[in-house]
Amino acid sequence: MLDPEGGLLRGTLDLLVLKALSWGPRHGYAVAEWIKAVTDGDLLVEEGPLYTALHRLEKNKLLDAEWGYSDNNRRAKYYQLSRAGRQQLRAEVTAWQRYASAVGKALAAATPAIA
Amino acid sequence: MRRVFRIPFTRGHIDREIDDELAFHIETRTRRLIAAGWSADAARSEAMRQFGDVASVRASCVELDQERERAMHRANLIAELRQDVAFAVRTLRRNFAFTVLVVGALAVGIGANTAIFTLVDAVLVAKLPVSHPEALVAIGNTSRVGGISTGFPQTNLISYPLYKDVRDRNQSFSGLLASGRSDRLDVRVDDNDAELEHPRGRFVSGNYFSLLGVSPLLGRTFDARVDDVPGGSPVITISYAYWMRRFHGAPDVVGRQILVNGIKMAIVGVTRPGFTGEIVGLSNDVWLPIAMVDVLKPNARRLDDRLVNWLLLLGRLKPGATLARAERELPTLMQQSIVANSTPTTGRAFLEGKPKYYVSSGTRGFSRIRELFRAPLLTLMIGVGLLLCIICANVANLLLARSIARGRELSVRLALGAGRGRLVRQLLTESAVLATIGAACGLAVAWWASRGLVVLAAAGIPFAVDLSLDMRILAFTAAISVGAVLIFGLAPALRASRLDLASSIRAAAPSLMASGQGRRSRRFPLGTALISAQVALSIVLLVGAGMLVRSLRNVESQDVGVDRDHLVILELDINTPGYTRVRLGNLAHALRDRIAAIPGVAAVTYSENGLFSGTDNGTTIEIPGFVAHEVSDTLVGYDNVGPGFAHAVGARIVDGRDILASDEGKAPRTALVNESFARFFFAGQRAVGKFVHVNDSIAIQIAGVIGDVRDHDLSGQIERRMYLPFVHTDTQPGQWGQPGTMRMEIRAAGAPTSIVQPVRRAVVATDPLLPISSIDPLVTLMSESISQQRLLAQLATGYGVLALMLAAIGLYGVMTYAISRRTNEIGLRVALGADRGQIVAMVLRDALRLVAAGVVIGVPLALAAARLLEAQLHGVSVGDPYSFGLAVIVLTAAAIAAALVPARRAANVAPLVALRAE
Repeated sequence: MLDPEGGLLRGTLDLLVLKALSWGPRHGYAVAEWIKAVTDGDLLVEEGPLYTALHRLEKNKLLDAEWGYSDNNRRAKYYQLSRAGRQQLRAEVTAWQRYASAVGKALAAATPAIA
Repeated sequence: MRRVFRIPFTRGHIDREIDDELAFHIETRTRRLIAAGWSADAARSEAMRQFGDVASVRASCVELDQERERAMHRANLIAELRQDVAFAVRTLRRNFAFTVLVVGALAVGIGANTAIFTLVDAVLVAKLPVSHPEALVAIGNTSRVGGISTGFPQTNLISYPLYKDVRDRNQSFSGLLASGRSDRLDVRVDDNDAELEHPRGRFVSGNYFSLLGVSPLLGRTFDARVDDVPGGSPVITISYAYWMRRFHGAPDVVGRQILVNGIKMAIVGVTRPGFTGEIVGLSNDVWLPIAMVDVLKPNARRLDDRLVNWLLLLGRLKPGATLARAERELPTLMQQSIVANSTPTTGRAFLEGKPKYYVSSGTRGFSRIRELFRAPLLTLMIGVGLLLCIICANVANLLLARSIARGRELSVRLALGAGRGRLVRQLLTESAVLATIGAACGLAVAWWASRGLVVLAAAGIPFAVDLSLDMRILAFTAAISVGAVLIFGLAPALRASRLDLASSIRAAAPSLMASGQGRRSRRFPLGTALISAQVALSIVLLVGAGMLVRSLRNVESQDVGVDRDHLVILELDINTPGYTRVRLGNLAHALRDRIAAIPGVAAVTYSENGLFSGTDNGTTIEIPGFVAHEVSDTLVGYDNVGPGFAHAVGARIVDGRDILASDEGKAPRTALVNESFARFFFAGQRAVGKFVHVNDSIAIQIAGVIGDVRDHDLSGQIERRMYLPFVHTDTQPGQWGQPGTMRMEIRAAGAPTSIVQPVRRAVVATDPLLPISSIDPLVTLMSESISQQRLLAQLATGYGVLALMLAAIGLYGVMTYAISRRTNEIGLRVALGADRGQIVAMVLRDALRLVAAGVVIGVPLALAAARLLEAQLHGVSVGDPYSFGLAVIVLTAAAIAAALVPARRAANVAPLVALRAE
């Protein structure tokens, strides 16, 4: 899942962001930490593109944003899934799993040709 | 998510928010690293490394956020607009009567303007539907499309030999076509058709279609070879409309033979739909080669006679040639050709006449209706323009009155924090909704009105113009409605938003001081000014209508010199059965005798052109002892008439005697002349017995003088005129004086319509094959001849009445509003002892003050407008006191009636109710 520059494919990052927000509102730093934690730091090489993704998703009305206060009482921008964002997440998860299993089957194939 | 409060939209806040967000991330990361044991500096640079390219991320975030903001702003605007429209529709529906009044007024204004514009465009502006019409040049008087003039070389109509000279010698054109009238064609498509049909036809030169760049839909069109042999090309091209109408679009029509005036002709082609010929307002059915004219119309020699002028020409400019060059070249060419081919006398007379050469742009083709309708159409345009002004003024008045009545609502909303711009926008939206509905209704009105106008205007005239409402006309309507919105929407909107909060709320509080007279008139200055302007415009329209109606009365009731109420005019087609010379004389006598024997017929005679039918013959004459100062001095009109003509038509014999049976058939010829003739040529002497010479050779002795007769029109100068015996045996067909058509004038003892059927039977009994072209009472023909004037008078009256009603409605609105504002003042007056009469008089005085101001402005305007109408007026002076007096009286009466309703309501105000109303 690496593109030529060694980063994440855009669609994959968007999907991960939506998933990160599926448990409730989070700020950008928390989203980055979650992605790093669940992927063992393999996928998100740089954190900057995450913010481009957040703002893009907000523009496309998949996320709502609001300013709030972090645990240590600092002003931070919190993102949460909009209704459209939740639907998008469901649809993409299904599509992703079908795609992954199809590719997985193909790569596991043992016969060279169709009989 | 709905936003309740809007965040101020500035560029700065987006940058700031993104900076804060990214800074939070980096700082949090740095703090975590420090907590994990990193030094402060190392932690910060590690946080930066993990983040990546801050500047580029920041830039793309800024861009995304700006896009988001813009989209939101747009959505807000749209939402507000939707709110405004919904609010406007709600408001308008609540004030249903107001809405109907305004929409109706706008529909009439916009509809009338679009209808007139459609007509103006179709008749005066539209180009011919041919290829590159802008390169066409017209030669000849383009309004004389059905004209023919014989006996003298002409330049307003062109003879066929002159056309050939100009075609072959000019340097300006790549080609030059000729076209001329066909008269009536008698066509038999099927051998077993009982009735002849009469498609509209035109004789054209062989290059007609190729020069115009018009290709056929079926078959072929003509080529230059059809010009070669006189009578040698019996071919015909038909129009798409005629093909559909008569042949139902049958594909095998090409090659079919039909009988035209008894001659077999083959249909060679069908033109494409949309091409109706080179004449605007006439839709042509068939085209015939000019070379066939002498075969199809044997009574006139139109091909080789240089004194038979009947063609109009259209040239196509060579690449690089200009209209100016054609205007220089052609007159010289035509003059050379005419002089070289005339007798010395005629040539000299031609040059002395200082002939006018007609060379003009041919882009818009030929048209009779263009000249005929130019003045009425432009007058109508001014009329409907004024009407729209009045309507806009009225609508503005209504909106203004309403916006003041809504003053409290608006000031409350301002106080609650509604933006001033928002308020203006909302009022403008309301106006725009009104204008849109009005314009939509107006388009429907326009569609009907333009067709209705054509039907009205076309009375008696074949009239076909393209009336489809095209994009330009839609744009014109849109421009009018947008203009109307700006005119009537902006003023109240601005005024309303200027409302001073405090004073407007205070005005609603109980206060007798606030309703003083001076204060009131200051409060509503725009409204009262508009009323005065409307009164002024109504005066202009009413005065115009009054003068046109009176002029029409004068025209209709004038002495025409004949017994108009009892005459019937019968038109016969003598060409088809081929009556000429002796046979024609015998036919005339037989018909006269048979018709004279019909009970109820008082007298009967015959003539070539007759009264209010046919064309006008003209010739130049010479009279021994008379010295002409100009060639036009020797021009007279003439008609060929039967014995007892003066008696039969009821003309007054002033001196000498009527035409007698003994005058027919032999030289020396005799003639009647009219009083204008006698007075002009023989001032002070007796005309009877004198001689008149025509064409250097024919001598005619004057036998009698009759009173002036209006032969062909009810307005204009009466011509000097001669009446010659109809039957001659000493001339050939086509030669001077030989009649080409025949009509009979029959005087009934009682109602003219009662003898129409017996006369028809008499014709059939005389010759069953002789076609009757028409038979009409003279009054019908006369009435048709002034249909344009009548239309103009009717329309002006209609407009005047409409404007009067609108002004009255406007006045009613303003007075009602003013009185409702003054209820407490009036109540106080009543309480202090004023009686009802005094209150009514007070209100009427106010209303009449507005009317007086309008009259003072309107009368000079009407005088100026009347000067424009002067050319159309007969026996009515520009300052006609009756028209002016009547207009002022009618307007004042209407104003009093309109003001009386609110005045009486004011007089009934009970003082206690009035005081409590506040």
